[in-house]
Amino acid sequence: MHAVIRILSEVRNALILLLWGTGILWLAGSGRLPTYLHPSLQPFTVGAGFLLILLAGFAIMGLATMRRAPGHSCSCDHDAHGQVPHYHHEEHHHEEHHHGEKGVLGLLAKTTVLLVPILVLLSGNADRFTSTTVTNRGVVQDLSKLPSANASAAKAAGNTAVPEASPVKPGGAMPLQVIDMLYALQMPSYREEFEEKEVEMIAQYVPMTTGNPKGDRFQAVRMFITCCAADAKPVGVTVRASAIPKVPEMGWVRITGKPIFPMEGGKRTAILEASKVEPCDAPSEPFVY
Amino acid sequence: MLSAPWFQFSLPDFQYAFLSILLEGAPFLLAGALLSGILEEYLPPSLMTRLLPANPRLAIVASAFVGLVIPVCECGIVPVVRRLLRKGLPVSCGITYMLAAPIVNPLVILSTMAAFRGQGALEMTILRFTLGVVVAVSAGLLCTRFTSFSILRPGLLSPDDGDHHHHGIESGIRGRLANVAATATRDFLDVSVFFVLGAAAAALFGTAVNQEIILPLSTNLPLSVASLMGLASVLSVCSTTDAFIAATLTAFPMAAKLAFLVFGPMLDFKLLFLYGAAFSNRFILLLALGLFVMIGLICWRIGSLNLAW
Repeated sequence: MHAVIRILSEVRNALILLLWGTGILWLAGSGRLPTYLHPSLQPFTVGAGFLLILLAGFAIMGLATMRRAPGHSCSCDHDAHGQVPHYHHEEHHHEEHHHGEKGVLGLLAKTTVLLVPILVLLSGNADRFTSTTVTNRGVVQDLSKLPSANASAAKAAGNTAVPEASPVKPGGAMPLQVIDMLYALQMPSYREEFEEKEVEMIAQYVPMTTGNPKGDRFQAVRMFITCCAADAKPVGVTVRASAIPKVPEMGWVRITGKPIFPMEGGKRTAILEASKVEPCDAPSEPFVY
Repeated sequence: MLSAPWFQFSLPDFQYAFLSILLEGAPFLLAGALLSGILEEYLPPSLMTRLLPANPRLAIVASAFVGLVIPVCECGIVPVVRRLLRKGLPVSCGITYMLAAPIVNPLVILSTMAAFRGQGALEMTILRFTLGVVVAVSAGLLCTRFTSFSILRPGLLSPDDGDHHHHGIESGIRGRLANVAATATRDFLDVSVFFVLGAAAAALFGTAVNQEIILPLSTNLPLSVASLMGLASVLSVCSTTDAFIAATLTAFPMAAKLAFLVFGPMLDFKLLFLYGAAFSNRFILLLALGLFVMIGLICWRIGSLNLAW
């Protein structure tokens, strides 16, 4: 029985390493890794994918060695069938010693836990947040609440680390990020560069359930990440539109309109007065950093 | 009054956050496991005891600074400490190194300086480093009062705990490489079980709990300290980047942010499970309570001094 569990656990190890490594490389190869991680961390994860496959290779070679030498060389008194004298069982917790498992149940429990990430990956659901997380984390509209050194510096110095405004396309709208409008909200000099000029913004659609008596507002949200999607903070601006198309919550929309910065409830706010809102594909960089 | 329920669960959000944490942490866990494999194969068992000061208290203090030489973040530290303990590192020194290394580490010092630019960066960095050392050393000293058996997971120090034999693979460069791989594989998968459980807990709390609930606590010093320690556990952010998150918690006093920066790398949700790979459940519970009380009280005291920073 011990020998069987030992072989099964070694097979399981090789298989899990192979599955995890392949899963990571598949995410990277299919271009989905950027939906999970900050660009600076992606090379480490891809490297880990290759290393896991390499370790799986070693584990498979180890299995071949086990087949050739079932009575492997360790300090215990195994016989050729993997059996050990009675005293070993009492003193050395032998099952754990060899297999890191506590019998069949231990083997099954550990295997199940290690397979969970693969099952989640295969479920195909896990590639964006729904509005539940946006609600639970709250939409940030104040730059000083963004987890970034730039935001801290901007707060401290007033006008440092402000992104360059994107150039206007000839005859077209100026591409603008949600975060540009938040910078502009705090810095009048930056605001002047695009206030009441036609801009185009790609963001995720979140309906407004409060402060929207006429039903003509929604929030254009982007997720701001520090390391990975798990620490994402939603950043957003209010969009006012006469016609809002049917878009699923957190679906991607392209908004054309003019930014305005009126005083509402005693404080300055950023609103995008939309002339057109249309569903669109997710951008290649889903996050802002 | 909350604008939404305090708990709303969404399976896709949970799955998404869960995978993100695993993808972020896996390379560091793997690096720790590989380092563990290298230590197992190449570090003579007597070297650890020869390198550390003979005086047990000095050895504990010295262990708090090992992270400056072997910088490992909190995901990678558990397999390394497991291996060092098996190689003869005293348990108290291992615990001190494990708690201090994610803070007393060049990358973390630099990132804390950068994140708190304009918000008392130097003071925050010095206090984080100092408090990290003080807490880790105190925990190490307290551990000398307990036996290894009551602290460690049963069988961890057993001389034949599955790592001194390599199923027929012998010496020679190729053989030693295979031995490193075999140990790294075993350690990686052993610790990954706990990492998967910890990532699930962190993803659940990070996506389903309304983070607005802690905002009203920001005006009360002891409650703000306690709530940010709780938030650090929930978010389970890597210690190399957690300062960027702490710096944005502008509603909270600096002492509470300090508690966030010291408690999180020592005991967040994923670590609570990861420590299970090396320590007994009873010890982990005591460690969690002890760290919460010690860091909480020190930060409360620092906050009540009303330092200008």
